[in-house]
Amino acid sequence: MPVLRSPISLRLLRALRGTVLLAVLGAVAGCDRRATERASAITDDFGDTLRIGAAPQRIVSLNPTTTELLFAIGAGPRVVGRTTYDIFPAEVRAVPDMGPGLRPNVEAVLAAHPDLVLLYASADNRDAARRLRASGVATAAYRIDRIADMVRVTLILGRLAGDTTAAHRTVDSVSATLDRVRRATAALPHPSVFWPLWESPLLSVGGGSFLNELLEIAGGRNVFGDLPQPSPAVAFEELLRRDPDIILASAASNQRFAASDRFQTLRAIRDHHVVVVDSTIATGPSARVGASALSLARALHPGVMF
Amino acid sequence: MRSSRWVLLALALVVALVAGVLVGTMHLSLADVANGVMGVGDSMPIAVVRTLRLPRVLLAALVGAGLGASGAALQGATRNKLAEPYLLGVSGGAAVGAVLATALHAPLVLVPVAGFGGALVAVALTLLVARASGGRGDARVVLMAGVIVGAFANSVIMVALANADASAVRGALWWMMGSAADATWPQVRALALFVGVGVLALLAMARAIDVLALGDETAAGLGVDVVRASIGVYIAGALLAAGTVSAAGLVGFVGLLVPHLVRLGGARTHRTIIGAATLAGAALVVYADIIARVALPPAELPLGAVTALIGVPFFLVLLRRLT
Repeated sequence: MPVLRSPISLRLLRALRGTVLLAVLGAVAGCDRRATERASAITDDFGDTLRIGAAPQRIVSLNPTTTELLFAIGAGPRVVGRTTYDIFPAEVRAVPDMGPGLRPNVEAVLAAHPDLVLLYASADNRDAARRLRASGVATAAYRIDRIADMVRVTLILGRLAGDTTAAHRTVDSVSATLDRVRRATAALPHPSVFWPLWESPLLSVGGGSFLNELLEIAGGRNVFGDLPQPSPAVAFEELLRRDPDIILASAASNQRFAASDRFQTLRAIRDHHVVVVDSTIATGPSARVGASALSLARALHPGVMF
Repeated sequence: MRSSRWVLLALALVVALVAGVLVGTMHLSLADVANGVMGVGDSMPIAVVRTLRLPRVLLAALVGAGLGASGAALQGATRNKLAEPYLLGVSGGAAVGAVLATALHAPLVLVPVAGFGGALVAVALTLLVARASGGRGDARVVLMAGVIVGAFANSVIMVALANADASAVRGALWWMMGSAADATWPQVRALALFVGVGVLALLAMARAIDVLALGDETAAGLGVDVVRASIGVYIAGALLAAGTVSAAGLVGFVGLLVPHLVRLGGARTHRTIIGAATLAGAALVVYADIIARVALPPAELPLGAVTALIGVPFFLVLLRRLT
């Protein structure tokens, strides 16, 4: 269940990225100046500031990726609300479901008496963030689309949740694994890969997705990596023309491809060069990206020890 | 309509079909395409032509044929120059049936059947709403009822999609914009059946539609059972809407535009109008699909967006000439 955004909202977010970075840098600089006080406020990806006070005890996280990151840094037991799509880690299923995460039902969120609400920073959620703040609930929205976003937001969550040590530990462990995989695949031949996200319309992993980064780290070359969107719609004949060596697919997609006349026209399908991947890694760049890169590298380069 | 016009129409369709198979992201020569159609020579052109392009071009042609014919018949039977399956709520009803069947994971063959069910319910609702407001005989009231039923169908689809995940919603929205990109041979065969039966039924009712087009009182005076004849046209229209919507989503403005074009071309009786609209609709949608394929590579445009972009300005010009 990849979270897909429209190109327009993506462009808006890209436009915002520069200001957000400046704001974050500003906050960090402020932190240096008042080292004894520690930073008392942070800025989220909507540009709103949030004061850091006592560690929150009731967190509603309406983005599966932030939820995973909270569990990874040990704040999982304090999560009291999640989206319909959360499946990692397994214990998250016991947390109450608060809908799909975009345009949330604000009253349902307030009913859980949260002291921190985390949203995905898409234009769809702007209104909800404003209303939650107006209701006196600390709210922060983050866009986590790339691996660098994961690193950035994990460290912020560590400060918000009051455990920066655990956040650094998580980030260091993921970065170490990614570096190890990157070094191991650097000298290997990079097969061309098609990674479909949806079949009708045909959506591919594009250059704007963290999955494209993951694929490159794992020693593959995305045939649609030149397209800037995270999940561009592509024409089937264009796919045929780009003639990938390997196709990544979920087990269910693989069965459909095998039975489809259209997909049988692809060399990779005819030659059974399909690598079955766990489709849940497409949800977002969580703390699992290191493990995902490792398993992807092993699947793309069988016979090579990692 | 003069026979030279029929030849021109048939020629436009043949050129469209050939161009449709010839044009694409992969560069294939005329010889490659011919070999591909025959199934001889290199395996790549055969695969591209037989598996990707032929079913797609034929599906687009059948969608256009069905929409053109049903638009022509509905405009005649309702004496409304703005009538078409989309505006009468028939396409919307078909979409609800097809979306619900897909959401319930019904087998693929049942999707157009569910669409037909939805289209029939929409027709019945449209007529009931029109009757309840005391204007079953008034073309404008029927059209307004159709727009209301179409809006209702839209909200049913939105409710059905409320809890679907983002990719499914994007897929459904894409499908609602219309596309022939995913055409398969089984779809082409199923749609050929729907369109064949629907168009033949409308041609058989062409005389009755001629009389209906004169007005209900005149038609009744001439011994035509107005209610029965209208219902026959609506059922055939529902069949065509269900087939096209299930195969290619909502493709608007073809049913609206094409009958006007063939009337401008000199078609007078509904046998001629429906027959010519079938051919012209087929050609128009094949050309629109070619534009959808080549306009913004490597992406594809939604077919419904292309037909609307062509159809709306053209229709505004027609409207000025008609009023």
